[in-house]
This record gives sequence, C-alpha cells and structure tokens, in this order.
Amino acid sequence: MEEQRIGVYVCQCGTNIAKVVNCEEVVRALSEQPGVVVAKTYKYMCSNPGQEMIIADIQEHGLDRIVVAACSPRMHEPTFRKAIQTAGLNPYFVEMANIREQCSWVHDDPQVATDKARALTFGALHRVAKHEPLERMSVEMCPDVLVIGGGVCGMTAALELADGGNHVYLVEREGTLGGNVARVDLTAPYLDSARDLITALVTRVEEHKRIDVLVHSQVSSLEGFVGNFTATVETIWGDGASVSQFRVGNVVVATGYKEFDASRVVHYGYGKLPNVITSFEFEKMLRAGRIQTKEGKIPQYVAIIHCVGSRSKEFHTYCSRVCCMTALKYAHEVKSAIPNCYVSDVYIDMHAFGKGHEDFYKRGSEAKTLFLMYAKNDHPVIRKAGPGDDCEMLIEVNEKLSGEQIEIPADLVILMVGMEAREDSDAVARLVNISRDKDGWFIESHPKLDPVATTTDGIYIAGVCAAPKDIPDTVAQARAAAGRILAKTIRGSIEIDAVFAEIDEDKCSGCRVCNALCPYSAITYDASKKKSTVISAVCKACGACVAACPSGAIKARHFTDSQIFAQIEGVLT
Amino acid sequence: MADKKLQIALYWGAACGGCDVAVLDTNEFILDVAAVADIRLWPIAADGKYKDIEAMADGELDLAIFNGGVRNSENEHIAHLLRQKSKLLVAFGSCAYMGGIPGLANLTSREKILETAYRRNPSIEWGNRVVPQPETKLNGKELEIPKFYRRVYKLDQVVDVDYYIPGCPPQPDRVRETLLAIVKGELPPKGSVVGAFDHALCEDCPRTKNEKKVKKFYRPWEIKADPDTCLLEQGVLCCGVATRSGCGVRCPTSGIPCRGCYGPPPGVTDQGAKLASAVASIVDSKDPNEIEEILAGLPDFTSFAYRYGVAASLLQRSYRQ
Repeated sequence: MEEQRIGVYVCQCGTNIAKVVNCEEVVRALSEQPGVVVAKTYKYMCSNPGQEMIIADIQEHGLDRIVVAACSPRMHEPTFRKAIQTAGLNPYFVEMANIREQCSWVHDDPQVATDKARALTFGALHRVAKHEPLERMSVEMCPDVLVIGGGVCGMTAALELADGGNHVYLVEREGTLGGNVARVDLTAPYLDSARDLITALVTRVEEHKRIDVLVHSQVSSLEGFVGNFTATVETIWGDGASVSQFRVGNVVVATGYKEFDASRVVHYGYGKLPNVITSFEFEKMLRAGRIQTKEGKIPQYVAIIHCVGSRSKEFHTYCSRVCCMTALKYAHEVKSAIPNCYVSDVYIDMHAFGKGHEDFYKRGSEAKTLFLMYAKNDHPVIRKAGPGDDCEMLIEVNEKLSGEQIEIPADLVILMVGMEAREDSDAVARLVNISRDKDGWFIESHPKLDPVATTTDGIYIAGVCAAPKDIPDTVAQARAAAGRILAKTIRGSIEIDAVFAEIDEDKCSGCRVCNALCPYSAITYDASKKKSTVISAVCKACGACVAACPSGAIKARHFTDSQIFAQIEGVLT
Repeated sequence: MADKKLQIALYWGAACGGCDVAVLDTNEFILDVAAVADIRLWPIAADGKYKDIEAMADGELDLAIFNGGVRNSENEHIAHLLRQKSKLLVAFGSCAYMGGIPGLANLTSREKILETAYRRNPSIEWGNRVVPQPETKLNGKELEIPKFYRRVYKLDQVVDVDYYIPGCPPQPDRVRETLLAIVKGELPPKGSVVGAFDHALCEDCPRTKNEKKVKKFYRPWEIKADPDTCLLEQGVLCCGVATRSGCGVRCPTSGIPCRGCYGPPPGVTDQGAKLASAVASIVDSKDPNEIEEILAGLPDFTSFAYRYGVAASLLQRSYRQ
C-alpha cells in the first residue's frame, strides 16, 4: 500500500479542552508518528475557519486521512465528514478522538488528561489508516403512507399528508372513525363540542380523494424498510374477511390508548356499587343529556375522584394528564344541569399546566365545588350509606390540607380513570419494529429532540400511544409526524448511511444464530440457499449480529476487526 | 514420486498420543509412506535418537510433523531443532495448532498444577509427595529433567510453522491427503490450514437449523435430543457454529455436540470469545434474573469455549494468578 499522508487536528474547544488537556503536547507527540504529515491545534476545529484549515491542508499537502481530536463523534463527525468530502476525500476517511467528554470534562489532573488524550488520538491515528472508502446508497422513497389508528391523531395526520399530495391508507380496527374522543361530550377547557370536532374531521377524511379508509381492519404484517414497506391489512366484514396489500414509504402509528379498568381499585367498589361510574360512563350520560343515578333519580350529591389508576405505586406511576381538567369540566357540567347539586372534587394535586387550564381551574373553584385533597397513597374509601342517611354513599377522605378525616355524601361517584397502553401495544410494537417503555408506551427516537420519530426509520409515533396527552398535543404530534414524512418524501429518494453490517455468503454456515437477534429485523434467512442476509437499508449498524456471528461471516462496515484491533494497539502504544 | 526418498520426522510435544495413533490409523497407507520416505524420528513407533537429528545438516529433513503443544524445555528444544533441520514444519493436530487440551493449563498456574499432581492427588502414596525439580543431585551426580514452563504454547508461538493440520486428532483421510500432496509437491501457500475447509461446521451438518432461542441449556446426557434438529437450538452446547469444518461432522452426526477441535473458521481471531457471544445471543430472555438462571446451567464455560484454544486466544492465558 502506498504510504498514507495523515493530518491530525487537535481542537481546544475554546477552553473546554485546553483548560485541562495540553493540546500542544498532544500535537507534538502525534507529529512524530510515521505517516503524520501535518499536526495542528486550533481554538475551534468545528468552526468555519477550522474546517477550512483542514480542507486547505488536504489540498496543499495531499493528505488522504484525517484525525480530529475534539468532542464526541455524535456531535461533529458529520461536520468533519462533510468537510473532507468538500476537499475531495471519501467522507469516511476521518476518525475522531473524543478528548472533551472523555478527557477534559472528566479529569482534573492535566497530566493524566493529556496522557489519555494522546493515547486516544494514537488510537484514532492507527484506526484511520485502516479505513476503507465507503459509498452511501440511495433508495427509492414511496410517497404513500400507512396511518394506523383512526382517532383524532390518525385522522389529523392523514389529512395533513393527503393535503400535502400523498396517498394515505388509514386503518381503523373499529367500525367507525373517531377513537376515544368520539366518546366525549365537551372538551376542556373551552367547552367545545367533541362531536363537532370529530364530525368535521371524519367528513373531511371520508371525502378526501387521497385517503383510503379501511375500518374493521387491522395491519397483519409490515415488511421491508423505509421508503419500501409492504403492508398487509385484514378487513373483517359482516360475514367474511378480505386481505389487501399495498406499498408505503412511511408509517404513522396513532393507536391511542385504553382507559384504566376501575374495578382494579377495590376500595372504590366499582362494579359493586351501582352508582360508582367511570368518567367515560359519565360522558355517555352527558351525551344523552341526562345526569341520573342507576335508579333514575337526579343526584343531589356528586363526587369526582381523581387519579384512578394514575400516580399510584400499585397501578401506573405516571400522570394521565387530561383527567384534572376533565374533572373540572364535569363539575361545571353538573352545576349547569343541576344548579342545587353539591359537587365534591377529591384530588391529589390539581394539574393545570396547559393553555387556558389555570383560568379554567380558577372559574371551577369559584363555582362552589368542594375541593378535598388526599395523599398519593392514602385513597378515599367509598361505602354504601345507611338507611338514615340522605344519600346513596359515603366517602371517607383523609383530607390532607386540614389534616382531618372527612366524610362526604354522594349519590353518584365519578372515577377519573387514567390512560393506559392498549393490550395490543406489544403486538403493534413488534409489527412495526419499535420499542415500548416499562408502561407499554411506544418509545420515541429522542424524548426531547425527536419525539415523533422512532429508532426504526420510516416509523413515526404520534398522540397518546407514545404517552398520555391532550388533544392539542396530540394534534401537534400528528402534524409533526406528517410534516416529517412530507419533508422526506418530497425528494423521491432517501440516502442510507454507508455503515452497515454485511454477510459474506461464502463464510455464512447458515447456523441462524443471528436471525432472532437483530433489533431492527434487518436479517432474513434464505431457506433454499441456507444463508442469512442483512438488508442494508434496514441495518442500523448496532453490531449485535457482528459480535454474535460465530463463523466470522458478518462484518460491520467501518467497524471491522482490523480497524478495532488497530485502534486498541494505537491506544496501548 | 521423487527420485530420492523423502526424509521425514514425527514428534510429539505436550500431547496424549492420539495424533500419532491417527497417523497409524491411515493403516496400510503408512507402508506406502515408508516406501517413499525414510522415517528418521518417530518416538512412538520407530527408533531414532535426538542426537541423530542434531547431527543432520540444516534442511536435511524434507518434512517434520510436530504434534502436541510446547509445555517444557524439551518440547521447545525439539521444536527449534526440527525447524532448523526440516524444509517443512507442520503443526499437526489441535495441540500443536492451538495449544489444545494441555493449553487449558494456562487457566491456572504452574505451582497449582504441580501441587495438584504431586501433593494433593489422592492416588499419591503418603511419604512419596515429591515434586520433581529440573535438577536433582543423586549419588554425587547431577540429573536433569526438562523444565516445566509456566504455560503452554502453540507451536507457532515458538517457531515458524509452514502448515497447520487441525483436529483432535486429525481425520486419517485428511492425513493421507496431506501427506500425498506433500509427496507430490502440490504445496498450498505457506501458513495454510490444510486438511480442512474454509467454512464453519454447520454448513456441512445435516441437522435442520431454525431461529435459535434457548430457555435452558443441557449437558448431553440430560436430554434425549431430536436427531434431526440443530443441537445448539435444543440447548446442547455444540461448538460447530464457531468451528472450521473438515472432520466430516463426525460428532454431531453421531448425536454428540461438536467440541471445536478443528479451531475457528478463517477470519475468527478468538474461537472461545465467538462461542461466548453466540451462546449469549441465543438466550431467550430479557429478564436479568432469568438470564442468570439460564446461564447457571453452563458449568465452567471458559473451559468449554476454550477447550482447545486457550493458548491461541487473544489473552493466551489467565492473568489472575
């Protein structure tokens, strides 16, 4: 091999690195190494002048490999890849040594930090010599989109995408569109009709020429990868079923939630006491226009209990986010319908964080509702009232603010049931190849910076299926997911990173150790050839199969054994 | 055939003798060898003294076949001697190739080995617990025995080796083919592993392979394994996935899991590490406690995964002594 000409650039990161690591000393040590033509230090390598320095050196000195000792490659590897590509080098001919997060930020002793920075940079130097030129791939991007779930979230995403010109397949398990919001009367805090909101959405979706609505339907399989999925959908008709198949480039998962089963909280007597009902059962009453007990009486006392199934060690530790405002809405609706009714609101904390919520709370608290606070793990207890009482039930509350045990009357108790992941969320996660958190909600690519993407390219999550949220947040996510997809499909193709695992067919013994291992389902097995293969567009280069492959047939591009061994040897030099 | 008879030597280092038996197992073929070759040294089967070899000119031997690992100073001396006197040196069998079973001693220390063998072994007579020393004075004379090294080496960690023939022992057919190739002068590139293939054993194994998800591991005697299904996916630790083929899949076709004696397939640096990650990869659980429980069914995993390959592994020996 022709002798390599390597440039080494040690970044000071302002004072971030230079205040602990002696960058001059690192440069000195590296400049004496064979193959190193240029070694420099600079205040900010990632700045435009820093990048231009590297580009100029590549052209002037004919450098063919670059080492940048700076921050984490997660931060600036793309920056330097792009820079050296501008100078005419293959973008994979750069290697970074992380002397900020791994040296100056974690060590106080300048000598130790400098020694470590030198060792890491030596590692990068030895590794970059083994780098191979890699080419990124371009794959076709099908503009059609599959939306799973026909609630507010799914319908909003579908409309946004279809309005943008993409064809949408909207798959809904139930017979009608609308999801859980279709079961609600008014929405908090502005008391708009949920029915009006849903009707407008459903009408537009059903009339849209670029949306195919499939109700009574479920996605039974999703194969392929971003830009090139094949979805199979089973539709159940009255007396039979049909299967349809279509190609899509991206998928929005908007499968929503189910309400918590109130009978799991035994001391509320749900299912045993006839006038203990859930919030959804109360919504049904409101939609029917008559608030009454099972016996058909107008209640004199109504009690609303918050956090049923939520914020509890026993059931779900998280807050379901919409119940507090919904409870206030109930207090308001009861008061409007039955002005002389006594309403008690039994809560843990009043969460009123959304737009307009605090004002809504203020109005509610002025409307003569009795607010009683209970401690998180000290639940109220509901029992049937005696013959001498003028009410159906009595609720015992250890009132936290007064410190007193208070008994309140109730003819009707509304349990504010929280949201929980649907029982089929595991199956959906496996179907589209995404992960779930400990509570069963789907996991986003980044909780703050990338909330609607997932770790599987082309699969987006929106709405409550990712975590409890209200309608405005859900709509924002639906539109965000649609926006992401529109931005990606507009180019017609997508570039796939050149770093992925590949299987040498001659070496693959067909042992199938790797088959069930891939977290992205990128590995397929060809039964006729008795060989496994990696679909490179699906592979995320995590390396799980590379480590596992016992016959050494799987190689991770850019992370080959020889590159890793060279790096180790460099560090130990 | 060459005009002049081939000059050959066979030697055993730290070995069990099975490799020499494998040479004899070529049956009457060995007579053909004798017809075209002079066997100048073969401690197990023929006469021949070290001093005869020492007296030879460099390169006088055409072929030296070395089986066994390098365990003591005598093994090392002969390794150097044969290298010097022979045109070709072949590491024959798993011990010469990778350190083999004797190489497992690299997981412990010389002191512990001698302690076990000469002091603690229950079969040693009381009063006879003598640990042999390299030098002993007896009746005013000094006696020497070879020095016992701290660890076992594979042959090419001591001398330059031309070819490797893996196997514990190598299959007689492979031995025959290899000897014939050398007699005919049909030599592969130096450093080649001969008498074996370039792929893993599974490729030649007739058992059906499915996705592997194992909830429980079994010792071979604990389970009546299905004869047509991959042993590893039935929970029987089979090394075939990380072992070079060439033996004729003799163990798995007889219902016995592969022990890995042919060493790693080409491109694999550390057979034991590969087996460890392959086995870890097929454990069917995401619950740490359950994983612990499943892995508890694997006694002495290091000795299993490195049964033949400790000396050839990345670390070569245990550093915890």
